[in-house]
Amino acid sequence: MTLSVIEKGADLKGLDIESRQMVVDTVRQLRKRLLTKEKILEFDKNEIFPEKEIREMLGPDIGLQLLFIPEAYGGMGGGARDCCTVTCEMARICLGIATAFFAIQLGSDPLMVGGTEEQKNKWLGKIAEGNTLVAYAVTEAGAGSNLAAIRTKADPVLNDSGQIIGYKINGTKQFISTGGYADFITLLANTPEGPAFFIVEKGTKGFIQGKGEEKHGIRASNTSPLSFADVFVPVENLIGGVPGNGLKQANQVFGYTRLMVASMALGGGKAVLDIVIPYSQERIQFGSPLSEKQGYTHKLIVPHTVRLEAASTYIDEVAERLDSGEEDLQVEGSIAKLFATEVANRAADDAMQALGGYGYISEYEVEKIKRDIKITCIYEGTSEIQQNIISTFRWKTTRKTKGEYYQSIRSEMEKIDATLSDAGCRFYALSAGALNDIIMQVHDRRLTRKQYIMFAMADMMTYVEVGASMARRAKILTETGSPEAEKIRCMSRIFANEVAQLVAQNALKILLGSGEFDHKTVSDWMEKISYTQLAFSHQNVVNDMDWVADILFER
Amino acid sequence: MEIVVLLKQVPATESYIGIADDGVSIKTDDIKWVINPYDEYAVEEALRIKEAHGGTVTILSVGPQKATETIRTALAMGADQGILVNDPTIATRDGLSIARILAAVLKSIPFDLIIAGQRAIDDDNFLVGTAVAELLGIPNISLIIKEDIADGKIKCHRTIEGGTVVIESPLPALITTQRGLNEPRYASLPGIMKAKKKPLDVKTIMDIELDRAQETASVTRIVALKLPSERKGGRIIQGDSARAKAAELVRLLREEAKVL
Ligand SMILES: Cc1cc2nc3c(=O)[nH]c(=O)nc-3n(C[C@H](O)[C@H](O)[C@H](O)COP(=O)(O)OP(=O)(O)OC[C@H]3O[C@@H](n4cnc5c(N)ncnc54)[C@H](O)[C@@H]3O)c2cc1C
Repeated sequence: MTLSVIEKGADLKGLDIESRQMVVDTVRQLRKRLLTKEKILEFDKNEIFPEKEIREMLGPDIGLQLLFIPEAYGGMGGGARDCCTVTCEMARICLGIATAFFAIQLGSDPLMVGGTEEQKNKWLGKIAEGNTLVAYAVTEAGAGSNLAAIRTKADPVLNDSGQIIGYKINGTKQFISTGGYADFITLLANTPEGPAFFIVEKGTKGFIQGKGEEKHGIRASNTSPLSFADVFVPVENLIGGVPGNGLKQANQVFGYTRLMVASMALGGGKAVLDIVIPYSQERIQFGSPLSEKQGYTHKLIVPHTVRLEAASTYIDEVAERLDSGEEDLQVEGSIAKLFATEVANRAADDAMQALGGYGYISEYEVEKIKRDIKITCIYEGTSEIQQNIISTFRWKTTRKTKGEYYQSIRSEMEKIDATLSDAGCRFYALSAGALNDIIMQVHDRRLTRKQYIMFAMADMMTYVEVGASMARRAKILTETGSPEAEKIRCMSRIFANEVAQLVAQNALKILLGSGEFDHKTVSDWMEKISYTQLAFSHQNVVNDMDWVADILFER
Repeated sequence: MEIVVLLKQVPATESYIGIADDGVSIKTDDIKWVINPYDEYAVEEALRIKEAHGGTVTILSVGPQKATETIRTALAMGADQGILVNDPTIATRDGLSIARILAAVLKSIPFDLIIAGQRAIDDDNFLVGTAVAELLGIPNISLIIKEDIADGKIKCHRTIEGGTVVIESPLPALITTQRGLNEPRYASLPGIMKAKKKPLDVKTIMDIELDRAQETASVTRIVALKLPSERKGGRIIQGDSARAKAAELVRLLREEAKVL
């Protein structure tokens, strides 16, 4: 990526900062009135899909769905940064409700990327008008991670002169968010030419929207099975008008939709920090607040704050690239999703621990958020599917560019380190170098066939790329004299330590674990990539965490 | 009906407030700024009056350039236009000084009704609205929880100890808001889209024709700001029985806390 794009900030798709902030403020107001804590806890406890409240959010007094609809179809024309920011704020209130909102976006995506002008006008226009709930129906009992295995069929229906006038749909879908309430759905089904997306309206004969599943979390979200028995849809409802492009369309939007799930996880993560930070300041045990106990803060709070900041930084960077017109950011979407959802899930788990017994009690909300966040590691492609994608694509890119891909990150980090020596860039550079080397070794020994090894590499790739993003932000903030610069540099140092340690550990996991390398080869390799230098990333990290704690706890 | 809302940008109540090094102002680095909540009621009431009687709603504010953000929010709620008197020194001006600036602007624009918050939650002066009415020589009804306009008159309700008082005055008048007057609407997304295109006039003190420059000078000044003293940890009273504990509590309240 080019830094100049970020620095210029020109020609980016989306709202001006002031308008975006106003939308964020409106969402925050929801928490005070429409979606108070009491209501959110009640929806969760009694598994209520708050249809009335959600429809109000889509009504003329709020109109949140306008954010992502292009201006041409009556919307606001928000970009990826706008959608990420607002989705994050919604998830901060309730991930279940954010899921209902996200389902509308997800359901619109096949239209956005593949719809004809007429279809966009009609269906996006309908969403813009408000009061329209949408669902995205892809998953089936036998086809979850592997979408190609779907069995729902769409058979062409011909008229007397042999023209296709529509399709007859048969099959079942499973786990469809808002499936029980949607006014229309976008459905993936197999035509003779291959999978295609269709629009099916509520009330169409033979289309049954089933009862919601009982769930672990996001209990305010409705998750329903759908069944189709000889459901006739007119040919105008075949998205794009040409059958067979469904999987392509589904893949095309993943860069974007996975970034949204990452933002949702980030929102959940922020929500637990919003609770655990003041709690630890007020809770007195053994005569002083918990926030003054270093083992407690540096185990349960500070590292999560740093990782969530890193997640936020990476999401912003990818969103900005999307807004600047870059395409093909599927791997970046996967990295964002894998990283943000996993760190948010751990943050929530530790936040429960940080509240002690109160963390286990519903009234304190943390256990609810903990249950909610888990879904982000599962839907829109599980963490393991993301690891698959990341490792496979980056391995191929590394081979194709003869190592230039991570080498360029390494040089970039060395270059930043030359002027900004206190953002941990030295360790990002060393880590990128070591990773590059490992990919080559794995390739040469044909270890890419071992999925466990690929997953270990995926994690290294993820941490290195998120870390690089953190370094770039530290640089930009420092150059522009931002009051946040010092904090982000400190967090970047702490995160660089995590990156270096993960890279060091996974490298050995791969090299020694594979059984392919003798000790001498591994020792030589450790020498070559300056393994001991990586170990020095721990230098001063406890003091850095003290400093972050000082900021968090305002002391 | 020409309605003018006096609006101030203030720190959000959830912001962390620290005292700046000068000891008489607050640190503003990390503060989130919002519409003064009482002014938000004023905006909402103005919009409702406009919806019922027609007219325009103008937002008038004195503050730093940044205050355009909160004016924009009021425009997104539905107000028609905004005027900011851009004054970076607002934090050091007292209520009377701000009222003089507002009154000077008001003298140059039409109005039938002016609505202000009863006070700004940052410095809790309870002064600006009433002072503006005085400077303009128009009636002022403060702390209203309900109003009705008919035949060129406004009738307002105010809660008083043990009951409600209903007060009437001819227009033009200035009223100030009390909690309970209404529930302010959201700045909707369609509203936010429209707000960008609404007129927002930014003036400086120089642009305003004040009779004498010194008329805007503050006559009071803040000499110190203090944070509330830190809450000390609670104390659990020990004792074998409820009776013993109660006795100990009474003793402590009498002898240590000296409240009995
Ligand atoms: C609350 C909820 C809401 C949902 N909303 C929607 C929706 O709106 N629309 C929609 O279409 N779908 C939705 N889904 C479905 C969701 O996207 C799938 O459940 C998810 O993609 C996983 O598919 P699966 O459940 O079949 O699990 P499986 O694919 O069977 O996976 C089971 C486990 O195996 C792992 N695994 C699978 N393949 C591999 C592999 N190749 N290598 C290694 N490990 C592998 C997975 O990571 C996982 O750990 C929702 C699900 C839930 C629970």
